[in-house]
Amino acid sequence: MPESSPAEDAVPVVALDNLHKSYGGLEVLKGISLSAKQGEVVSILGSSGSGKSTMLRCINMLEVPSGGTVSIAGEPIAMRRRGTGLEPADKRQLSRMRSEVGMVFQSFNLWSHMTILENVIEAPVHVQRRPRAECIEEARALLARVGLADKHDHYPGHLSGGQQQRAAIARALAQRPKVMLFDEPTSALDPELVGEVLRVMRSLAEEGRTMLVVTHEMAFARDVSSRVVFLHQGCIEEEGCPQEVFARPASQRLKQFLSGHQA
Amino acid sequence: MDPIFMWETFKVLLGGLPLTLNLAATSVLIGGVLGLLLALGALAGGRPARAFVAAYVFVFRGSPLLVQIFLIYYGLGQFRPALQAMGLWGILREPYWCAIIALSLNTAAYSSEILRGGFRAVTIQQIEAGRACGMSGLLLMRRIVMPIALRHALPAYGNEIILMVKATALASIITLMEVTGLAGKLIAETFRAVEVFVVAGAIYLSLNFALSWALSRLEHRLTPHLRPRPVPFAKVSPHA
Repeated sequence: MPESSPAEDAVPVVALDNLHKSYGGLEVLKGISLSAKQGEVVSILGSSGSGKSTMLRCINMLEVPSGGTVSIAGEPIAMRRRGTGLEPADKRQLSRMRSEVGMVFQSFNLWSHMTILENVIEAPVHVQRRPRAECIEEARALLARVGLADKHDHYPGHLSGGQQQRAAIARALAQRPKVMLFDEPTSALDPELVGEVLRVMRSLAEEGRTMLVVTHEMAFARDVSSRVVFLHQGCIEEEGCPQEVFARPASQRLKQFLSGHQA
Repeated sequence: MDPIFMWETFKVLLGGLPLTLNLAATSVLIGGVLGLLLALGALAGGRPARAFVAAYVFVFRGSPLLVQIFLIYYGLGQFRPALQAMGLWGILREPYWCAIIALSLNTAAYSSEILRGGFRAVTIQQIEAGRACGMSGLLLMRRIVMPIALRHALPAYGNEIILMVKATALASIITLMEVTGLAGKLIAETFRAVEVFVVAGAIYLSLNFALSWALSRLEHRLTPHLRPRPVPFAKVSPHA
C-alpha cells in the first residue's frame, strides 16, 4: 500500500505510486506517491522546474511517466515497456480514463474554430457519445454556472482570457469528470481577471469536487485546499493541511518559497 | 472585331468547357488526395518518407508543367511492352489520361506544401486539449486537426485550384480539344487569332471569377472566428 490512512478506507479518486519521469538523462520526477480522496482539493506548490506541472500531466498521460503507476478510482492505467520507458498499453482504456479526468490548462486551449457551446459539448458528444440534446442542455447550465450564459455562440477569440478560462472549466466539467486537474489556471491571466476564475474554482471546491491544482495563488491554496503538497526537484518535500504548512513549514526550502510568495 | 464572328466563336469554344472543367476537377481531386498523403508523410512519416516527399516536391514544383506533360505523353510509350503486360496501356495511351496524370502529380506537389502549412498552424495546445478529453487519434484528426488545418490552408488552396483551371490549357498541346484546343483549331481555320483568343480568355476569366467568388463565400462561412464579432443589428437601429 502506498499510503496508510486508517481513518479513510475508501478508494482514492487519484493515486500516484512511485511516479518517475525522465527526459533523456534529466530526472524530473523522482518517485512521487500521492493520492486524493473524494472531495479533496490538493494544491501543488513548487518553484518552476520542480516538476509540479509534469506530475499533473502524468495523471492523464499527456506526459508518459518513465516508471510508477497512475490509478483513477482504483483502476490503474495499464502500461507496457517501450524501449527504456513506458507507454499506455490499452488505447481504449486510456481514452475512457482520460474522459473521466477534466483538465484545465494554463493557456485555456479552447478549440478556436468552434463556438463556446461547441467546445463544451465536443467531448460529451463525440468521445462519450451521449445524446446531443442532453449535452447541449447540460452545457448551457454549465456555461450559466461559470457566468457565460450569454456567450454560448461566441468564438474563443472573441472572449477575454478570464472568460476563456471559465469556458475551459465548463468544457472540462461537461465530461462529468471524477477529478479536475488545474495546471496553473490563472498564470496566463491579467491580474484583474484572476479573481473571476478563482471564484469559479472556489465554488467547485465548495460543492465537493475532487481537484488537483498546480498554482502560485497562495491565498487560494491556503483558504480552499484540504491539503497542500510542496514539490522540490522532483520530490515531495513537504505535505500537510494548509494551516500547518503555511503557519509552520518544516523544511527550509518551503520557508524560502513561502517568503517569496506572500499570500 | 466582328461581334457575329465572336459570338459564333463563343458557341464553338463553349463546347470545350466540359472537358476543361473535367480536367480541372478530376486533377484537383486526385492531386488533393495525393497532396494530403504527401503532407502527412512529410509531417508524420519517418526519414525515408520525408526524403521522398521532399524529392517529389522538388521535382514537380521545380520543372515546367508543360515538360511534365510531354514526358508523360511521349515518355510512357517507351515502356509500352511493360505497360501492356500490366494491362495499363489501354489507359495510358489516351491523351486524356496522360493530361490527368501530369496535372494531378503537379498539383499534388503544390497541395502538399499548402496542406503542410495548414497542419503546422494547428497548435499543440489545441491537440493536447483533444487528447486530454479522451479523443483517439482518428477522432482528433477528424474533429480538431483537419478542420483547423483546412481552414488555414483554404486561401492558398483556392489559389491553387484557380491555377489548375488555367493549367488545363496546356492539355491542348497533346491534342485534347478543351477550350484552348478548340481555339487553336479555330485559329488554324480562320486566321483570326486575336478575336478567338479574346473569347477564350473571357471564358477562363468568367470561370475563375465564379470560382473565386465561391471560394471567398466558403472561406467567409468557415472562418467566423477570425473576424471581429458583428454588432447585433437590433442594437444599432432601434426602430420600435
